[in-house]
Amino acid sequence: MSRSTRKLILPGTIAALIVATVLLAPLLPLQDVRGMDIPNRFAGPSAGHWLGQDDFGRDVLSRLIWGGRASLFIAVGSAIFAAIIGTALGLLGGYFRGAVELVTVRAAEIILCLPPLLLALLVVTILGAGTWPLVLALTILYTPNYTRVVYAATQQVRGLDFVTAQRSMGTHPMKILVRTILPNVLPPLLVQMSLVVASAMVIESGLSFLGLGVVPPTPSWGLMIRSARGAMEVAPLLLVWPSLALAGTILTFNLLCDRLQSALDPRAVTAGGALWLRPRSAAAKKPATPVEADADAPLLEIRDMSIAVRDMELVRRVSLTVRPGETVALVGESGSGKTLTGLAMTGLLPDTLRVTGGTAHYTTREGKAVDLAKLDEEGIRALRGDEVSMVFQDAAAALNPVLRIGEQVAEAIRAHHDLEGDALQTRVVELLRHVGIPDPEQRVRAYPHELSGGQRQRAMIAVAVANNPRLLIADEPTTALDPTIQAQILQLFAQLKRDTPGMGMIFVTHDLAVVAEIADRVTVMYAGEVVEEGPVAEVFERPRHPYTAALIASVPEGGAERLTAIPGSVPSPRQMPSGCRFAPRCAFATERCTANPPKAEHPAPGRVTRCFHWETVT
Amino acid sequence: MLRYIATRSLVALFLVWIVVSVVFLLLHLIPGDPAELLLSQGNVAADPQAVAALREQMGLNAPLWQQYIDHMTGVLTGDLGASFRDGAPVIEQIALRLPRTLEVILAASLIATGIGVPLGTYAAIRADGKADAVISFFASASLSTPVFVVGSVVILIFAQKLQWLPAGGFTPFSEDPLEHLQLLLLPACTVALSLLAVITRMSRASVLEVLQRDYVRTARAKGLPRNPILRRHVVRNALIPVLTVLGLEMGTLIGGTVLVEFVFNWPGLSGYLVAAVDARDYPEVVGIVMTISVLFVFLNLVVDVVNALLDPRISLVR
Repeated sequence: MSRSTRKLILPGTIAALIVATVLLAPLLPLQDVRGMDIPNRFAGPSAGHWLGQDDFGRDVLSRLIWGGRASLFIAVGSAIFAAIIGTALGLLGGYFRGAVELVTVRAAEIILCLPPLLLALLVVTILGAGTWPLVLALTILYTPNYTRVVYAATQQVRGLDFVTAQRSMGTHPMKILVRTILPNVLPPLLVQMSLVVASAMVIESGLSFLGLGVVPPTPSWGLMIRSARGAMEVAPLLLVWPSLALAGTILTFNLLCDRLQSALDPRAVTAGGALWLRPRSAAAKKPATPVEADADAPLLEIRDMSIAVRDMELVRRVSLTVRPGETVALVGESGSGKTLTGLAMTGLLPDTLRVTGGTAHYTTREGKAVDLAKLDEEGIRALRGDEVSMVFQDAAAALNPVLRIGEQVAEAIRAHHDLEGDALQTRVVELLRHVGIPDPEQRVRAYPHELSGGQRQRAMIAVAVANNPRLLIADEPTTALDPTIQAQILQLFAQLKRDTPGMGMIFVTHDLAVVAEIADRVTVMYAGEVVEEGPVAEVFERPRHPYTAALIASVPEGGAERLTAIPGSVPSPRQMPSGCRFAPRCAFATERCTANPPKAEHPAPGRVTRCFHWETVT
Repeated sequence: MLRYIATRSLVALFLVWIVVSVVFLLLHLIPGDPAELLLSQGNVAADPQAVAALREQMGLNAPLWQQYIDHMTGVLTGDLGASFRDGAPVIEQIALRLPRTLEVILAASLIATGIGVPLGTYAAIRADGKADAVISFFASASLSTPVFVVGSVVILIFAQKLQWLPAGGFTPFSEDPLEHLQLLLLPACTVALSLLAVITRMSRASVLEVLQRDYVRTARAKGLPRNPILRRHVVRNALIPVLTVLGLEMGTLIGGTVLVEFVFNWPGLSGYLVAAVDARDYPEVVGIVMTISVLFVFLNLVVDVVNALLDPRISLVR
């Protein structure tokens, strides 16, 4: 039994108890509901009257139970009637669409435009007070709820293969609706049902409280509260009991609805918050004390870094070095772990992922060595956007839609510098001009959606280079763009490299053509591992890993006669091959490859490959 | 932006026309004679002479189109007819009582938003923790307690037992501002409680959703500290759906403060409606329902415009 199903037990049991109690009311050894006992009016709890007596000396407990019977009868009754009518309308509207949809679904939705209590009052105006007018009013009120739910579900189910198949086989629509679609829409109906019972009780008790609902002497919780208000000074408990009963019952049904929902649709449960907002949480790492870096230390040296979600390793023992002024391309298919490696360098990994091993030594502007993988949130925040910056793939999503471009760039500067007013504004305009946004004086006031895709990516880059970072991590910055715009953005990166010679760059991409254009060195990743590394020209000239070779062969501009696609797909982290991870897709694979994982080899100075057969790869 | 507001206003005007027409048709197309329906109580048949007189008074003998034109002219010139009970123009009572109802709703919305947004944001930040569980349960409990129960219990505690505040009643602001506010406090807080629950839940869900967005990650990538990220990027974006819900809830409340006004003896529009329904005073009921529906439409327009101001993308979509 899953956790969400277990959580159903409590409200389910209480709801069942409440329903059983009111159903069994005639059989329970209760005092007469209408038996008055004027001399003992407002008497407190006693052996004969556990909850005391009311303003007419009637037994409160028995009125409470019988009152619940009336309330629940009306609420459940109208919930069922509304369910039947609403489901029928929703099924018809969702299945047939067109004119049928108009007279069923859209007509029902008009009711939703009116305040609920107002609508109930209108019906009562026309029909007068009483139990049945209430049932009718509530039925009308809640029919559209079901109609909408069933309509949406029907439309979904309607498109499924097995329904289409039945339709093409000439099955009568009525039969399809009842046999196939109805069982599929039952779960959302069940949720809706408990919700409607709860809110119908709210309206019923409210109208009864106003004297427009259940007619005395029939007991009802709303009426009991109404009369208890008059005797508040003498017997405050008379107000408390029906209030507790009413609120408790409604709460039970609401909880039942909530938990039914999460039990029936586990996806609806949201991911829990964000750990970075909780600095003192368990995820916070111990701050590392900075030490002086060696004079010739590289800008960034990742050594054997692993990233895992719980016990599942997504990135395994990755090593990567970036020297000042150098551009390293990180290449691989989706799921190879290249983006995660980039995110780990800025401490922006999703909450469920953690760096589980290895180091990422970075040399700061002051010449200190810090381990980016071990810094706490505050420590890495100070570097982020200042020394280490990131350009994201989808600028449309990565820019805040409700803030002007200028503000978003200014914010990046202000996060690390005390720049205000005109000086700040001038710097922002200068940055926008630098990244090639035309008419920057005007564009600072533009919202992201007012810019073209290419200009948005330029703005994103302006944010990233606002503080002259020493390490720029670009995560597939051209993937979401048109080919012509891609070329322009690549030129911009090339220009940035020329303008800031000391800046190191990690360029994450799956596009080898881009690598050739922008990078000095390339690191190829496959299934969470580095499989090959080396200077771009050398690797392209003579790949030392079958995967790299296959990637090069699949590039259109490669000059090859025909394009070779790599058969198969990246293995899932749950089913990693025990030997070489590429072996199942590799043309060179032998028994040795599937038996043991290959170690990193050095075919030439500055080159690394993780293949047993590197010498024979072409 | 201006063009957007103009189109939305036109749509709203159209909706108002529909609403007024529907209310008119309801009155005239209900099976049976409205005059007879009005005069009969339960199963007792109405006096035919009285029915005839009422038909004449209500103008029911004219052709339907004539009645429709008269009705629409009346609505346009602010003439909603005269009350059956005392013959006074319905519009006068509405003009007197509507501001009182709006006052309660506005005060409640301010209280609920002021507390609900920070509370929901806090719950989202602490999602799945103890504080979140407590806040969520509190929200469920206040959503589950009908407003008249809250009102009655609040009176029991604050007026009866502690005697801090008056149990109910109304003093015009112009007569005694302090007493007016004292009397406003309990009804406003009562309405605010359930609204607070809605806003807390909505804020929590909305903040959780926004926290997953790419632009929040960008804000972190800039190296911004936690609070500016929350303020400028998370809460600001999360507020948009919350305000939409608040607007819709306020619309529902215009017709839904009936119970609170009854409990606290607050002479607002909804209380007037209950009395009108109780007396089956048709012109009054029609006038009030129409006013509320028109306000409801208008409020939706305001919500749309405010949303467009908060989220500049909206005004571009047609």
